[in-house]
Amino acid sequence: MLSDSAGRRDLLLMGASLALAAAGCDGPDEHGHPLPARARGQAAEAASFATVLDLEGLGRGVLARTRAGHAVKLEGNPQHPASLGATDLFAEAAVLSLYDPERSRRIRHAGAPCPAAELDAALAAVRPALLASQGRGLRLLTGPVASPTLARLIAELLAACPEARWHQHDPLADDAALAGALAAFGEPVAVLPDLARAQAVLCLGADPLGPGPAQARQARDWSRGRRAGRAAGRLPRLFVAEASPSLTGARADRRIPLHPAEAEEFARAVAAALGLPGLARGGTHPEAAGIAAALREAGPAGLVLAGRGQPPAVHALAQAINQALGAPGTALRLTAPPLARPEPMAASLAALTAAMAAGAVTHLLVLGANPVAEAPAALGFAAALRRVEFTLHAGPWLDETAERCRWHVPLPHPLEAWGDSRAFCGTPAIRQPVTRPLAEAARGEAELLGALLGTPLPAREAVAATWRAAWGEAGFEARWEAALEAGIAGDPAPAIAPALRPDWDRPGETGPAPAGLVAHFAPDPGLGTEARNAWLQEMPRPLTGLAWGNAALLDPLTAATLGLAPGDEAELTLDGRTVLAACWPLPGQAPGCVTLPLGGDRQAGGAVGSGRGFDANRLRSADGAWMAPGLRVRATGRRAALVSTGAPHRPDTGGAVPRLRPGETLPPVAPGASLHPAWAYEGRAWAMAIDLDACIGCNACALACQAENNVPVVGPEELARGRGMHWLRVDRYDAPAPEPAAASFQPVPCMHCEQAPCEPVCPVNATVHDQEGLNVMVHARCVGTRTCSNNCPYKVRRFNWNDHRPALDTPRRNPEVPLRPRGVMEKCTYCSHRITAARTQAGLEGRALRDGEVETACQRACPTQAITFGDLNAPGSAVAALRQDGRGYALLGHLGTRPRTTYLAPVVPAAPA
Amino acid sequence: MPQIFSPRSDRRLRLALAIGAAALPLLLALGFAYVRSDAAWAVGVPAAQPIPFSHAVHAGSLGLDCRFCHAGVERAAAAGMPTAETCLGCHARVWTVAPQFAPLATALAQDTAVAWASVHRLPDHVRFHHAAHVQSGVACQTCHGPVWEMPRTVKAETLSMGWCLDCHREPAPRQRPVERVFDREPAAGPPPERPFGLAAQPVLHQGIEVSPLTRCSTCHR
Repeated sequence: MLSDSAGRRDLLLMGASLALAAAGCDGPDEHGHPLPARARGQAAEAASFATVLDLEGLGRGVLARTRAGHAVKLEGNPQHPASLGATDLFAEAAVLSLYDPERSRRIRHAGAPCPAAELDAALAAVRPALLASQGRGLRLLTGPVASPTLARLIAELLAACPEARWHQHDPLADDAALAGALAAFGEPVAVLPDLARAQAVLCLGADPLGPGPAQARQARDWSRGRRAGRAAGRLPRLFVAEASPSLTGARADRRIPLHPAEAEEFARAVAAALGLPGLARGGTHPEAAGIAAALREAGPAGLVLAGRGQPPAVHALAQAINQALGAPGTALRLTAPPLARPEPMAASLAALTAAMAAGAVTHLLVLGANPVAEAPAALGFAAALRRVEFTLHAGPWLDETAERCRWHVPLPHPLEAWGDSRAFCGTPAIRQPVTRPLAEAARGEAELLGALLGTPLPAREAVAATWRAAWGEAGFEARWEAALEAGIAGDPAPAIAPALRPDWDRPGETGPAPAGLVAHFAPDPGLGTEARNAWLQEMPRPLTGLAWGNAALLDPLTAATLGLAPGDEAELTLDGRTVLAACWPLPGQAPGCVTLPLGGDRQAGGAVGSGRGFDANRLRSADGAWMAPGLRVRATGRRAALVSTGAPHRPDTGGAVPRLRPGETLPPVAPGASLHPAWAYEGRAWAMAIDLDACIGCNACALACQAENNVPVVGPEELARGRGMHWLRVDRYDAPAPEPAAASFQPVPCMHCEQAPCEPVCPVNATVHDQEGLNVMVHARCVGTRTCSNNCPYKVRRFNWNDHRPALDTPRRNPEVPLRPRGVMEKCTYCSHRITAARTQAGLEGRALRDGEVETACQRACPTQAITFGDLNAPGSAVAALRQDGRGYALLGHLGTRPRTTYLAPVVPAAPA
Repeated sequence: MPQIFSPRSDRRLRLALAIGAAALPLLLALGFAYVRSDAAWAVGVPAAQPIPFSHAVHAGSLGLDCRFCHAGVERAAAAGMPTAETCLGCHARVWTVAPQFAPLATALAQDTAVAWASVHRLPDHVRFHHAAHVQSGVACQTCHGPVWEMPRTVKAETLSMGWCLDCHREPAPRQRPVERVFDREPAAGPPPERPFGLAAQPVLHQGIEVSPLTRCSTCHR
């Protein structure tokens, strides 16, 4: 084959000229395009700020990368205890919400925009009357508050207006945990598990690896524990008893589908088998003895976690078992709760609604909450709201509550406002703006409270005042700067050792199991601000593969009995309340239990969030219970528009994911036979190793890839046609029946095959190899035959069916990655822009690249550090060491593609426990 | 049956076909020439700037160093454009023509960008790192031409991929010691003649290592 590059190129250029595309493919782009230089400083360059984002009121530290003053990408803050350098879905997606064109930008009165002065005048008019009446009739409704500054201002307001009341509402709050802690210790207590040290863990409906404010930390700890356990030949054991499959359940050694009505009986059986003193009543369950034996063997390294939806008695039982095992100090830490005022939030909102309905509320301030959409419809919050004379809603969007309040004030996005926060472990952090406010009229909660108190203060001053009071004047400035630099402002909450009350065990009433099905409400991305986030909407849920909506989840047998096929519509009735929902069978679901994800079918969710799925809040009872018996399901005979990226059940009967017993090894990864001549990679050889034993399927990597590489969102119709654009997908393989592990997750980026099947079939040489082994895609050459995708055995290539550039060309786009036009292929590049940036930097500093210096976006995001990337040829590199690991294997290695991305097989227990 | 076409129209058709056949290569040649011409690449075309800035005055007559305004050139990908503060550092005292500097005052007051127009912008899929080139001894004028003689800044080279590759294939003749990158005297001799035809094509894909400088992923993203 003679040289082709210049001749072919000239020919192409001639063709282009004939087609009157005289400017050519590489013509001077955007001549005279603005090249902005900031007024001050060097803001056009990349900068990184440490800040903190809240989830369910608790902070996770992030580093916000900005370009030319615009936030582009969020990464975990290695110094923050809730992040340790990793992120979760919601942190990755927050940057998209910042640029949401539908964000509220104007102060509104009775629905119409009005100048800020009118709001100031209204607040000034309200204040003297409230102060005179000691605040009688004033109610404040917030989300869960952990922020020290907000707590201080609320306390000041309550001191100035002693008759005023503060309520909190969190649709995901677990009030039973608080009740259980009060029963066990007489005081609210936060349980912080240390999964790195725990040797036996029993989760009673708890999902420590699932979405939540501590997910990244707990997943890291869990993977560290597994890593140490593999090295020591003694894997920690994880037992999960739950009604609906969770990410933790998927990785459990033993998973027990447990009907909610049996939860307390099961917990009592374990407690009785452990011989727990002070047990009011025992229980029986066939699995209890084995689990109790494992817990007893682990001793202080044993741990029982009770989760959302369990009755208070189960929470108290879990606390008592942990105390009996001596777990505090080893497998867990007990601390004071991070929230400023722990309270049962459903009861708090119910009390507020009752007062409003009784006409006892004259002034209501709703700060950062959306109870109209997120509280159970049966509570009647929206109707009660009409009886309140002065209503003010502050929120980032013009949502359902904003539409029903007289005043609406836009809240700034967390990335553009000052504030502070506490992590799940109590570690405080100061939130600093990383970008200019995009909504000029936006005001923070602190500023609104300050205005109401008559001490208006910019948010930064309010936060500084809190910390000046905490730290003292001496050395404050230095400490403040250090806190902003590090992204943390103090230590975790100290451990406490509360004594177990003698009367801790208060059994719940036991009756005959109620007839019919049990409704099990569950969180789902789509609650709160997330409904408007297209990245979150389009990311397939890990266990169901559903995107752009939700469905009622049933076990396959129940679904078959009811005559429901996947995607069928059903009428759900609970206590006379009815809703239509799509149904989706989910293997592993407890029989007789229907999981109803919250947050669907928003009325004012904008173009992205409105009308996706069904609204489970219309079924939920007024007390906000997570479980409710007496659900009736009736097939309507219609089909629902449900978007799924896969079948409900994907049993891995062919052994696509090898599951190893402890000590077993696989044959070494050998280059398979190939018809093509081999190429010696003498310089660097980039490679990736993905440890499936660590992967929890949280999708953080996939979303990080989307944010980093300007990957478009295609919408539900295109996604349903299989035209999703995610460069990295996470496949799920359900274990075949006798295996104990429920599912294995397998992230699939481009394999960067050394003998890449996509390359020889491209008619225009648009996908080629470079000398470091990257399979590079030349978008400018691609003519869109899609032959490469057809020939790719891993199906990792994505085709641009539409021109997504207009939607992507916002200040959020990563300027390091080009936007792809319509009609070209694209795929994972191993973050080649990061490789080049690191290579150039090393070249400028005149040194060799260090191992681990190049971090791909997925690797950086992974909470469990399952992804390793580096140079295979560098002696002692981490990825080269993992290639030699006995668990290593190549995906479809027998095809002879010699993939650079290899996997490490998951380890399952020696025998079914 | 009578003939539909007369011998005359037959001749016309033949003539038209002949002209067409002759015009095709001509069109090809014209197109070939045009896409390689400076006009197609906007060489020598100034862009409208917010302020009538003259490199000839600042870099030429006054002899300011390039790095005075383009501060990032030795350490970053982007050389950087001067901020309003940089300009006003001098122009608060000398040549204080207020109407001309209105964009600077606006930028300072609103803390926004000075909207300089790019003359040398490369396409989205090209990665260019100034510091890497400075470090390799590529003088400013190799790509930017004699900027210090330009009253209005224009492109001196096409910056096409072929032009980049000319140098990437054989960089040595155009390199100079790193400490002389910002010097303005021309290179010692004329740039080397570009080899043409097969001579320009060392036999690739035959097991012979391609220079790392000419890999796709070196410049493209």
